[in-house]
Amino acid sequence: MNVNVVKATIFFFIRLYLNCLQNVILHLNIIKLNFLLLNGWKKSVRSVAFEKELATHIFLGLIAIMVFGYSIALGFFLEKIITTGFNQPDSVKFVSGLLLYYFWFEFMLRYFMQSTASLEIQPYLHLPISRKYLVHYLLIKSVLHLLNFLSLVLFAPFAFTAVARQVGTSAWVWLLSIYLISLSLHYIVLIFKKGLDDTVVGFLALTGGMGLLALADYYNWFRLSDASTVFFEFILRNPLVLVGLLAWLLLIYFFNFNYFLRGMYPEELAPHKNSKESSIQNLALLQNLGMLGEWVNLELKLIMRNKRTRSVLFLSGFFLLYGLIFYTNKTYTQDMPGFLLFVAIFITGIFMINYGQFLFSWQSVHFDFTLTQPGSIAQVVASKYWLLCGITIICFILSIPYVYFGWHILLIHGAATLFNIGVNVFVIMNMALWDPKKIDLSKSSMMNYQGVGAAQWVMGIPILVAPYVFYLPFSIGGYPTWGLLAVGMVGLLGLIFRTQLLTLTTNRLQARKYAIAAGFRKE
Amino acid sequence: MISISSLTKTYGREPVVNISNLTIRKGESFGLVGNNGAGKTTLFRMLLDLIRPTQGTVTLNGKNVQGQDDWKKYVGSYLDESFLIPYLTPDEYFKFVGMLHQYSDADLHQFLQNFEELFNDEITGKQKRIGELSKGNLKKVGIAAAFIGNPAVVILDEPFENLDPTSQIRLKRLLQREKERRAITYLISSHDLNHVTEICGRIVILEKGMVVKDIVGDDLLPQLEEYFKA
Repeated sequence: MNVNVVKATIFFFIRLYLNCLQNVILHLNIIKLNFLLLNGWKKSVRSVAFEKELATHIFLGLIAIMVFGYSIALGFFLEKIITTGFNQPDSVKFVSGLLLYYFWFEFMLRYFMQSTASLEIQPYLHLPISRKYLVHYLLIKSVLHLLNFLSLVLFAPFAFTAVARQVGTSAWVWLLSIYLISLSLHYIVLIFKKGLDDTVVGFLALTGGMGLLALADYYNWFRLSDASTVFFEFILRNPLVLVGLLAWLLLIYFFNFNYFLRGMYPEELAPHKNSKESSIQNLALLQNLGMLGEWVNLELKLIMRNKRTRSVLFLSGFFLLYGLIFYTNKTYTQDMPGFLLFVAIFITGIFMINYGQFLFSWQSVHFDFTLTQPGSIAQVVASKYWLLCGITIICFILSIPYVYFGWHILLIHGAATLFNIGVNVFVIMNMALWDPKKIDLSKSSMMNYQGVGAAQWVMGIPILVAPYVFYLPFSIGGYPTWGLLAVGMVGLLGLIFRTQLLTLTTNRLQARKYAIAAGFRKE
Repeated sequence: MISISSLTKTYGREPVVNISNLTIRKGESFGLVGNNGAGKTTLFRMLLDLIRPTQGTVTLNGKNVQGQDDWKKYVGSYLDESFLIPYLTPDEYFKFVGMLHQYSDADLHQFLQNFEELFNDEITGKQKRIGELSKGNLKKVGIAAAFIGNPAVVILDEPFENLDPTSQIRLKRLLQREKERRAITYLISSHDLNHVTEICGRIVILEKGMVVKDIVGDDLLPQLEEYFKA
């Protein structure tokens, strides 16, 4: 290529970058910024939820510190693990090969954990602060997220030990390129969640992308690891790529900037508030079931019309692909078939677990209404039972194509489904009755811990341990298939005695309803 | 000062606001009345560029408000609680808005003295946060903040709602006193025909988003009572 063209291009990007920088700095009125940041801090410290959910926050904080500690440790020992543990002579090449997988993982992590607090600026909209300032504030502040430090924590130690030993100061280039890609992922996720989240297109793009990658690796169309190695080795040899990455980051930033600037209206900032026409109407089929069907219909509307519950449903669809990770891998299918039961419980029961853990909290805003309506509480409990079971059965039907990986997978899924709708559903319903917390669905977002109490932390244990109580005795004795049948039989027993079990659950709700209602009424 | 031309906002197929032409002169006290759902708040939100109009424009001093920031310097407004920052105390909130208008602490202190009577010792100097205030006190905080920066235009939605009788009278006095002090354009919506006619010399009645009556004069109240009689 002509040297002049290259020079001109570089100068163009440098000028663009300087212009942007100037633009940002001009808008950074320091006093204003202090106030905004201070307000943000006060918001988190003074919120009612902060005091009420302090324990949860501390717990999460400890987990975060732990994860970061492990990440740093992993960063330092990465080389040793690779060279001695995996017997790979060239650890840099090996890690470079994994990087694109890492970015995919980071993207998913960001997708589920990251949210823009765009409504945070609503009280400032009518005040004399320029809209550009607010958008820069929103976008730049969003970088202060733990996830934006993960890649640095994870790869900096490795870069300055192993990579530096091989390539010297180019280790900086390696690390910086990772960080720039990570930051651009941050802004891609921001705009993805703003524009496409909660839409069918966005959902298909996510699941399709993940499925495609898994299949491509399985059928050897292309290997992501090879592409990754080539890419990062290219960067090490051509540090100028950094400029390209920086330009790319700025491009996405200003794409975000324009997008947010155009949408600075509370209606548009709010996550799809009432924007959807009531897409789900009453299902005629359910209306034939009388009052029971009406309650199920009501709850289906609740699920479809609220973002947080909708994402629980979307997540269940997503988890249907969970099997692709395990069923395509001989380590699991041949060496540890017992583990697949765990996978199957998740695939068919993820909605039951995720939605059911807050079974009574979802409707906490109108719990008094529920209690004062004609019709019995038994019906309410039964409607929730059928809702959870119905969706579990749908998950089972949708997971039937896994039979491609062997008939035994269908058997495992069948046993897990029976166990889920016979036993786990009652475990979940009863655990959900244990001191449920209020959930205000109008405040919806990912990483919303409203409603999380002690029950939610321990709920997973019985659900995942119980099937093994019946499976392990047979499997250790050398009859894993009998073990699966036993799990299925226990589930079937629960299904047969469902009336009695439902009555027990109803009685518990009856006894606890005053305490629960009082808890929900508290702000 | 403010002019509205062929402004519409539709949700779904329903037009919520549909105004072909409306001009509010500098110094005018403009009252907006209309039954629930007439589009008063939606109109105010479009004046403040909080809602994107489906069609048409709002111009303030000859400039379109949409996407602009400079008019915010001379327009004070309080429509609802989303204008407040619930996790701040009223003092902190006033200080914040004051900072945006380059108020010093002394300026702010002097400013707040005008509101002492209305605040009735329940707002300033307290540790209570805005989120914990009663509806009436929220309103007082919002209205006071709307006056920070000596705005030429003040837009208030239902300022008398939720206020106790004493506070209603005090607020009315305060609005009139501010008006006597300097040229100020009020845009006030209200369901209370008595109060709104006492403050405003011009009343516009909205119905289904359209201007059905635009009256000026001294005998506004009887005309309104005639219009709204059930």
